[in-house]
Amino acid sequence: MRHGNGTGIRFALLGVVSQHPDGVHGYALKRHCERILGNFWQLNFGEVYRVLDRLAADRLIEQVVADAESSRKLYRITEKGRRSLDDFILVPPTDAPRPLRQELAVKLLFARPGRWQDVLRLIDHQREAYMRELSLLGVQRRRLARRAVDAFVTQLLIDGAELSVRAELAWLDDVTQKLTERFGRST
Amino acid sequence: MIALRQVTKTFGSGTTAVRAVDSLSFTCPAGAFWALMGPSGSGKSTVLHLIAGLTPPTSGQVLVDGADVAAMTPAESAVLRRRRIGYVLQAFNLLPFLTARENVGMPLVLDGVRQSEVDARVDEALARVRMDHRAEHNPPHLSGGEQQRLAIARALVIRPAIVLADEPTGNLDRAAGRQIMDLIHDVNERTGVTVLLVTHDPVLAACAHRVLRLVDGRLRQEMVLVGDRHGQAPLALH
Repeated sequence: MRHGNGTGIRFALLGVVSQHPDGVHGYALKRHCERILGNFWQLNFGEVYRVLDRLAADRLIEQVVADAESSRKLYRITEKGRRSLDDFILVPPTDAPRPLRQELAVKLLFARPGRWQDVLRLIDHQREAYMRELSLLGVQRRRLARRAVDAFVTQLLIDGAELSVRAELAWLDDVTQKLTERFGRST
Repeated sequence: MIALRQVTKTFGSGTTAVRAVDSLSFTCPAGAFWALMGPSGSGKSTVLHLIAGLTPPTSGQVLVDGADVAAMTPAESAVLRRRRIGYVLQAFNLLPFLTARENVGMPLVLDGVRQSEVDARVDEALARVRMDHRAEHNPPHLSGGEQQRLAIARALVIRPAIVLADEPTGNLDRAAGRQIMDLIHDVNERTGVTVLLVTHDPVLAACAHRVLRLVDGRLRQEMVLVGDRHGQAPLALH
């Protein structure tokens, strides 16, 4: 199973819905989502409802009526939704190196207690993807150096790519260290 | 070939004992270029010391080309270091009052190699690291990057089977560090010498064909990178 763009927001909303076993209203959902995900994501109502509609169409959540007197609809996670969320948390990120921060943040937020070791393995997987990327950049850099042509700009771009991968790796090391400090030594 | 078989190294004893390396096993084939990464205190440098016979394992076997380093007498392990293993450290450890040429030739002189042979091999080593134009300079007159080039030439002059490099770019800026790594990569590719590199810098580690990540003296992760000619099958984690 592979997750493309937009996966983060989809599972973030599914995760928040999962934290309300009796159902949650769309507005409360948006507020809750912003609170736990901080200022990293700017959500608008249109986007939230679009994602919720899609989750409902996929039968990962269902709509229930709050009570007899009101017509307010609440969103509640289905059994299929729970399984899907659990799967997402354990599925390694894609091999294509790209920033994992948002996706990993969602996995960390909704990983069940006792699953942090699995999250560490996901981080290891991502680290390897980044190391391969660095390895390829090194091959390119050495190939350029052997050529007689002036590759000044290409060289600068490679430098930039290396620096950003380096930053991602430093962040993964930091997360690993803090998870280990918080939950104990890995086995 | 370098092989560690269930190697444990403990420093101190009783309640103050520190297990620097913990049941570590791996086999690095001849001609490979591997990097060891990991946080401070993860046992990376101790692994190099064990391979060079500078410290004996508490248990397990360390094999260099099939010979058990721990079973060697001090004289035998000194010969291993003098003839088979080139060591490159963060500190260049060049003698300031000797010329570049004299520094590079030192291991051969100490090993009793005759002068004409020393001269020929020093020329070859200096050319390999592109420092032939600085042969008569003294180290204090050279840049950090140039001094590390000399230290690498001194490691190569013995025509080693293995080069152990412990944070070789630690004292250099990023540009000079990269040049040193490209040089080490080039040496491995052209001469087939086995290289084991310890670094905490991912960009440098990514020059290697394979990266072993150590945590608390144990192998936590093995990453196969571009250029690995020895298959994709990962080793079992111990």
